[in-house]
Amino acid sequence: MDGFPLLSAIVFAPALGALLLLFVPGTNLRLIKQIALIAVLASFVLSLRLIGYDTGGAEFQFREDLPWIEAFGMRYSMGVDGLAVVLVLLTTLLSVVAIVYSFEPIKTKVKAYYITMLLLMVGMLGVFVSLDLFLFYVFWEVSLFPMYFVIGIWGGPRRIYATVKFVVYTLVGSLLMLVAILAVVIAHGNETGTVTFSYEALRGFAYADSLQALAFIAFFLAFAIKVPMFPLHTWLPDAHVEAPTAGSIILAGVLLKLGGFGFLRYNLPLLPDASVTFAPIIIGLSVVAILYGALVSMVQPDLKKLIAYSSVSHMGFVMLGAFVFNQQGLQGSIYQMLSHGVTTGALFLLVGILYEQTHDREIAHMGGLNARLPAYAAMFGLFTFASIGLPGLSGFIGEFLVILGTFQYNGLVAGATMVVVVFSAVYMLWMLQRVFFTVPSDWMRQHWSRLRDMSRGEWWALAPLIVLVVVMGVYPGPILELISAPVERIVEAVNGAGMTGLGPLW
Amino acid sequence: MDLIDDLVTLLPELILVALVLVIIVADLFLPRAAKWVLTWVTVGGLILAGAACVVVWNINETVYNGFYVVDDLSVFFKATTILIGIFSVLFAPSYLAVRRIPLGEFNIILVSALIGMSILASSGDLITLFLGLELMTMPSYLLTGLHKTDRYSNEGGLKYFLLGSFASAILLFGIAWIYGLTGTTNVAGIAAAVDGTMSGALLVAIGFLTVGGTFKIAAVPFHYWTPDAYQGAPTPITGFLSAGPKLGAFALLIRIFADALAPLRADWLAIFLILTVLTMTVGNVVALTQVNVKRMLAYSSIAHTGYIMAGLAAFASADDQRVAARGIEAVLFYVLGYAVMNIAAFAVVAMLQRDTGRFGGLNSFRGLASRDPWRAGAMAILMLSLTGIPPTVGFFAKLYVLLAAVEAGLAWLAVVIVLNAALAAFYYLRVIVYMYMRDPEPEPAPVDTSPLGSVALALSVVGVIALGVFPGAILGLLEVSAASLF
Repeated sequence: MDGFPLLSAIVFAPALGALLLLFVPGTNLRLIKQIALIAVLASFVLSLRLIGYDTGGAEFQFREDLPWIEAFGMRYSMGVDGLAVVLVLLTTLLSVVAIVYSFEPIKTKVKAYYITMLLLMVGMLGVFVSLDLFLFYVFWEVSLFPMYFVIGIWGGPRRIYATVKFVVYTLVGSLLMLVAILAVVIAHGNETGTVTFSYEALRGFAYADSLQALAFIAFFLAFAIKVPMFPLHTWLPDAHVEAPTAGSIILAGVLLKLGGFGFLRYNLPLLPDASVTFAPIIIGLSVVAILYGALVSMVQPDLKKLIAYSSVSHMGFVMLGAFVFNQQGLQGSIYQMLSHGVTTGALFLLVGILYEQTHDREIAHMGGLNARLPAYAAMFGLFTFASIGLPGLSGFIGEFLVILGTFQYNGLVAGATMVVVVFSAVYMLWMLQRVFFTVPSDWMRQHWSRLRDMSRGEWWALAPLIVLVVVMGVYPGPILELISAPVERIVEAVNGAGMTGLGPLW
Repeated sequence: MDLIDDLVTLLPELILVALVLVIIVADLFLPRAAKWVLTWVTVGGLILAGAACVVVWNINETVYNGFYVVDDLSVFFKATTILIGIFSVLFAPSYLAVRRIPLGEFNIILVSALIGMSILASSGDLITLFLGLELMTMPSYLLTGLHKTDRYSNEGGLKYFLLGSFASAILLFGIAWIYGLTGTTNVAGIAAAVDGTMSGALLVAIGFLTVGGTFKIAAVPFHYWTPDAYQGAPTPITGFLSAGPKLGAFALLIRIFADALAPLRADWLAIFLILTVLTMTVGNVVALTQVNVKRMLAYSSIAHTGYIMAGLAAFASADDQRVAARGIEAVLFYVLGYAVMNIAAFAVVAMLQRDTGRFGGLNSFRGLASRDPWRAGAMAILMLSLTGIPPTVGFFAKLYVLLAAVEAGLAWLAVVIVLNAALAAFYYLRVIVYMYMRDPEPEPAPVDTSPLGSVALALSVVGVIALGVFPGAILGLLEVSAASLF
């Protein structure tokens, strides 16, 4: 560690803001919003420094390493590789967007809201930068409960059902993961004589086959529930529908990425043999998820639920790319995560803008909005196309790379995936048509005069996402360069296992 | 060897005894308006006794012909006991005052129970052990029934007394069998005599001891007294009952099973495993259906008993001494952490019973976050800690047990524990749902805002978080304490 603890500062700047907010009177809304904004902006600005990550240098940079609970070999150990850099940047950016967007719609328990959101950011950022499995687990859980409050307090009518479902689902997964972490740590400790939770020490160790298989399943459950992967996705639509807009932005934009990140950071390098063995199953589930998400999206009457199910489909690509174990697939997987964060975050934000005005999300109630809200319609169109994967926008690169990687794995699977991609165009375009281009519904006509186009605050919230979705679409070079080294390491780790997989288990 | 010299090793107990006498006398002479002084006298005395624990730390002596063991394990238990006492004394006064329950008697009986727990922790002989046990449980029966005019309190006290005496008798019977088989009641002597060979008669003895002992920790299927006793007792006293006698009973189990019967641990492991799984699962499943927070916490305390027993199971299943010690350490840490969080959780329930017509139902918690954000926040943290969410002491306690279990080759038990923890999340989070996500009742429960309770609550919450973030501070103590068993 040299000098300024940059990562700690990025992670704990929001926590500092939350602490300050505790002592601000709840009626001083202006000050509350200012402190919240400054806290996330500080975190964002600090995280920009991570762009200076030297791709030719050490694997993990900006290291921090302090003793914590030494009796158990737990350390306060942080560091980032290219994968963590891009996800931290995505998180801090979407956090700013979510906070800025929240200024208008959140009217009740404002202080508690910003405290919760800031704590949520601490948890998410911590997960990405931890290099100690215990520290990682702590942050993982810390990222869970603020979202529980955000949905449960500021959510829609069925918020309590949704939030309890969300928490219990994720808790089951993460607690099983805790046992797996302990099992891995102890197995490593028994063999080497030193008990450590250090990620770098634990990876690349040849764990017994049976342990790998069981640990893989436990890690898999934790991450797959978070992603969420078919058939563990059922909490997601409920959570999204009930969550307030900013909650949805964070949920889709970042929280789901925790799952994808978990697979890439922990499952594959820690348990390569088991990963190889289970890969066909996961690839199969991913393809099903892509198809299933698309088909279910098609019939959703609720705009937000439609986008929620589209997440299931898109995250299927992420999983598919991760488990074909080659450069293109993995790069595509990560790129798809970033792109999904930006586009889906933006789409939820746009849905939120309309919802604030009509308090309704029924697609059947809409129609013809293009005429009344041209700028809004244009933006919605932009992100819809990005989501479909139109070349020139961010979604294309990820999907293209994933399919490319899948071709190397198995042409048949890739072919099936390509067919499925068509469906994603169908449901998104059909949605676009029903919302913006047909004649307005009678219901919408009643609200016609009260509809307003994008406000300045909304433009501000959306602006960074507009820029990103285009830049990421036409100039993917820098991001691909950042993530190429981590991807290579994963491929090496898995191939280092000889692609043999586990021996017979029983 | 000298009688007088050995008295120094009893310093904490002696201070507690003196404290009881001082309170009795002071209670006689203090006018009604000045009874509040008793609280401070008690707290002062307890702090003094706590300081005395520092004096006897690291002595590791067996005194009075093997009847009394002052090892670090016992000192750890005593210090925790005193901590439990301090928090119980701080939380109680305003609750008792509203119900006209005499403060003096409460303090006297409570400190007497603490003495019993201390003796129990130090017993080097089954005779001392039984003496300590009775000195702990007799005051506990009294405390449960302390609210004389409340029939639930009477019922709880009576139930606890009848069933408790029965269990004590069974335990005593087991002790008699052990004496008949080994010719000694000395813990070290028994360990030497049983010598790892199992016999039918020994099995009978172990059976009686297990039933008697697990009754005291409220393990399933010997838990039926718990919900009624806990619900009937005045709420701050319930907090004490859930932590104090449980600690005492675990000290008893450790002395009997992890010390005297340690050579036979492979034999009693199986029954402990069954009881462990049963206890946590039944406790959690029944807690799920409760709508009264006090009763819910009573069942949840049964579930926590199961988690703590898993530490003992890890001890019994361990191959080597380091892993076995880890199991005992897990028990110690869990007992300490559980005491800190659970006494405070019951205290919050008590604070919402300012109105004597309230019995700690979930509805009392409705919308508490908007009425009293600080107490709601404290309760939320306590609930998360009881669920086992980082960074709280409840999380680390569970982690410790899990670690011990996995190390001892009981990974399946660890999985059962975490599945139970997820199940428990349902009912702990329900309290948070009521506090944060539902609107207050039209006539919300008045909140007791006495400064004494508030300060104690703040201290507890700080403790819950501090021990969760920096458990390393006491891990060294735990290691030394557990090591005195080997």
